[in-house]
Amino acid sequence: MKSYDELAKEIVKGVGGEDNVNSLIHCVTRLRFRLKDESKAQKEQLEHLDGVVSVVQSGGQYQVVIGNEVADVYDAVLQNSHINQNDAKAADDRNNGEKQTILNRFIDLISGIFSPLLGYLAATGMLKGFLALFLQFGWLAEKSGTYQVLYAISDSFFYFLPVMLGYSAAKKFKVSEFLGLTMGAIMVYPSIVAMAPTNMGKIKPLFTLFAGTPFASPVHDTFLGIPMIMMSYTSSVIPIIVGVWFASLIEKRLQKIIPTVVKAFLVPLFTLVIAVPIMFLVIGPVTTWVAQGLGFGISSLVKLSPIVAGIVLGSLWQVMVMFGLHWGLIPVAINNIAQNGFDPILALTFAASWAQIGAVLAVVLRTKDKKTKGLGISAFISGIFGVTEPAIYGITLPRKKPFVVSLIGAGIGGALIGLFGTVAYNMGGLGVFATLTFFKPGQTIGMPFYGAIISALIAFAISFAATLFVAKDAKTEAKVAAKQDTALAAAEPELEGANVQMINGTKAPATVTKPEIEFNTPEVLLSPLSGRVMKLEDVKDPVFSSGAMGKGVAIEPTEGKLYAPVAGTVSLLFPTGHAIGINSDQGAEILLHIGMDTVSLDGKGFTPKVKQGDRVEAGQLLLEFDMATIKAAGLETTTPIIITNSNQYHDVKPVVVNQAVTAKTDILTLD
Amino acid sequence: MEKRDFHVIAETGIHARPATLLVQTASKFNSDINLEYKGKSVNLKSIMGVMSLGVGQGADVSISADGADEADAIAAIAETMKKEGLSE
Repeated sequence: MKSYDELAKEIVKGVGGEDNVNSLIHCVTRLRFRLKDESKAQKEQLEHLDGVVSVVQSGGQYQVVIGNEVADVYDAVLQNSHINQNDAKAADDRNNGEKQTILNRFIDLISGIFSPLLGYLAATGMLKGFLALFLQFGWLAEKSGTYQVLYAISDSFFYFLPVMLGYSAAKKFKVSEFLGLTMGAIMVYPSIVAMAPTNMGKIKPLFTLFAGTPFASPVHDTFLGIPMIMMSYTSSVIPIIVGVWFASLIEKRLQKIIPTVVKAFLVPLFTLVIAVPIMFLVIGPVTTWVAQGLGFGISSLVKLSPIVAGIVLGSLWQVMVMFGLHWGLIPVAINNIAQNGFDPILALTFAASWAQIGAVLAVVLRTKDKKTKGLGISAFISGIFGVTEPAIYGITLPRKKPFVVSLIGAGIGGALIGLFGTVAYNMGGLGVFATLTFFKPGQTIGMPFYGAIISALIAFAISFAATLFVAKDAKTEAKVAAKQDTALAAAEPELEGANVQMINGTKAPATVTKPEIEFNTPEVLLSPLSGRVMKLEDVKDPVFSSGAMGKGVAIEPTEGKLYAPVAGTVSLLFPTGHAIGINSDQGAEILLHIGMDTVSLDGKGFTPKVKQGDRVEAGQLLLEFDMATIKAAGLETTTPIIITNSNQYHDVKPVVVNQAVTAKTDILTLD
Repeated sequence: MEKRDFHVIAETGIHARPATLLVQTASKFNSDINLEYKGKSVNLKSIMGVMSLGVGQGADVSISADGADEADAIAAIAETMKKEGLSE
C-alpha cells in the first residue's frame, strides 16, 4: 500500500501544526479540520501538496480536499500526529473565538452526526435500489429467502436509523455512545413500535389531540397519567438527535451531583429514566411535527412548481455541496421518505453530477497536459458514481468557466426533472445508482424514471458542449496546467532535523545533511521495566507527551530495576543516573528517563550498574532505583521510553497499552 | 564558523527538557551545530548526544555553528539558553 505518512505530516504542518487542530473528521473526499486559528494555516502550501486537490474554508471547517484516498490519508494523519478521534469530542469545548453563525453550527452538527454513517447509508441504499431492480426484472421473487435476507441487509440500517444516529449523536454531544445506542434502541423496541397509532390497527384511541388539523394526533396510552402522542420512530432522524442532546444535558448535570462511588450505574439509570419519558412525551412529538412541517413546506414548494424548484435546486446544488450546505436538505429528504415514502427534492439534484462530469470530459479531451488528463479521467469515473469533489476541485473550479457551465447544465437538467416529476423512493443512490431510487418495487417503470435519465443526459451534453466551446482558449488551459505543475515542483518534502546522529567520545564527524531520510531496520524492544504501560501522550510532562523528543511509550514501574531493551551501547548515562540512552546495534536511539523531574534528586536513589560507553546485551540490568526515594520527594516514577530518532522509522508503536507488562517482554515495535 | 561560550547556571544542568529545547532550536537551521564540553563535541541536533555530555551546573560549554545560517543559529540558541534560564 502507498504510504501517506509524508503527505499527512505536510498537511498537519500546513494547517498550522497539530496544536492548532481542535478536531478532524473526514467524508468521502475531504479532511475536515476544525482549527483554533484558521489564519495559521497555509492555504497556498497545502494546495501545492501532491495529493491535495484544494482547500475550502466553510461552515467553521477547514476542509482539505484529497479525493478517493481520503480514508488512508486520514489514518496517516492520526498516526503521524497527536490528533486523535477523541479530539472530535473535545472540539466544541475550545471554541476558536470566531463567531459561529447558527447556519454554520447547524451544518456542523448535521454533518458531524451523519458523516460517519454515509458509507453504510449509501451502501444499503444502493442495495435497496438493486433489489428493486431485480424484483422489477423478475430475477428475484419477493417471497424467496434470498430476497428476504438481502432486503434485511438493505433495510435494517434504515429501519434502525435511530440506533445508528444515537451512536453518532452521542459522540457529537460528548456522552457515552451506549447512552445514544440505548436511546435509539428504546425508540425501535418492539412494544414501543407497536404503540404507534399507525401500528394500532383498529384499536380505538383514548382521545385525539388536534383532531381535524394536519397535526391530528391520536392518544392510545399515558405515562403516569400524561397522554403520550406516539409515532413510529423507526427510520426517524430528528427525535433521536434532539433526544440525545437533551439526555446529554441531564447526564452532565447528574455527573456533578451523583457521588463518584455510585456514578457508574446511577448516572446512566437516572439519565435514561428522566430523558426517555420526556423524549416520548415532548421532544419526539414536537420535533416530528416540526419535521413534518418542514418536509410539508418544501414539498409544497416543489408541488407549486417543480420546474422552478428544479432550476433553483439543480443549479445551486454543487455550490451547496461545496459549502456543505446540502446537509440541511438531506435529513428533510430522509424524513420525506420516512413520512411519505418518496422524496421529490433530492431527485431534482440528479442532473448536477452529470453536468459536472460532462464538463470534466470536455476538459479531458481538450487538455494536452498528461496530469490533467489523468486527474480528469479519475474524476470522471468517480463522478459517474456521484462523488463529484475530485471533478469540482481538481478540474472545473480551477478553470472557473467549466464550473459555471456545469451549474447552468445542472439547472436545465433540474428543470427537466421537475417537468418529468421524478421522485426518489430511497436514499443513498449516488450518481448512476440514483436511478435505482427513482422507481418503486413492483410498479411499472414510467416516464418519471426515463425522464430523469433524459434530463441527466441533456445536462451532460449541454455542459460537455459548452465547456468544449469555452475551453477552446488554449492559453488559459496551458496556464492552469503550468500552475499545477509548479505547485508540484514546490511540493518537495522538506527535511527538518532528520539527521540525528550520535557522536560519542572525542570523535566529532561533521553532520551530513542527507537529501532524504534513510529508514532503519525494523526491530522490537523489550520492556526495560515491570509495571503498567501507558501511552506517551498520557505522560504529564509535556516535553515527553508532546512527542518533542520522539515517539515511544511510558511505564509506571512496579519494581526499581531497569533492564536494557536491546543489545547495543550505553550512549548516555546522565551523571545523576536518572536517564540512560542506548544505541541499538540496528541503529535505534533509545532514551530511558526514570521518573518526572527526577534530575532534581541529583542521583539520590539511583544506582547505575553500567558506564557510558559500555556494551550491553538485551535484558541486562542497567541500573537500580529506589521508588520510595522518588515518591518521598513528591515526584512521579513514570518512565518514558523514547526513540529519539523516531523520524528514521515509518512507525513506532507500543505492543500493548494500558495494561501490565513484565520486564524483558516485547513493548515497542520500530518499523 | 560562528562560536560562542556559555556558562551554565541552571541548577540541574542540561537534562531532558533543556536538551530537547536546544535540539529543537538547533534543528531549525541548516548549519552544522556542535556542542563542546570537556573536550567532547556532540551534534546539537541530537538529543542523545547532548544529554550524553551530562552538562551540570557551573559547566562551561561552547557551541559552534558552521553553515550559511550560522549567525542566526547561534543567536537563536543563545536566546533559548537565556529564556530557559540555562545561561545568562
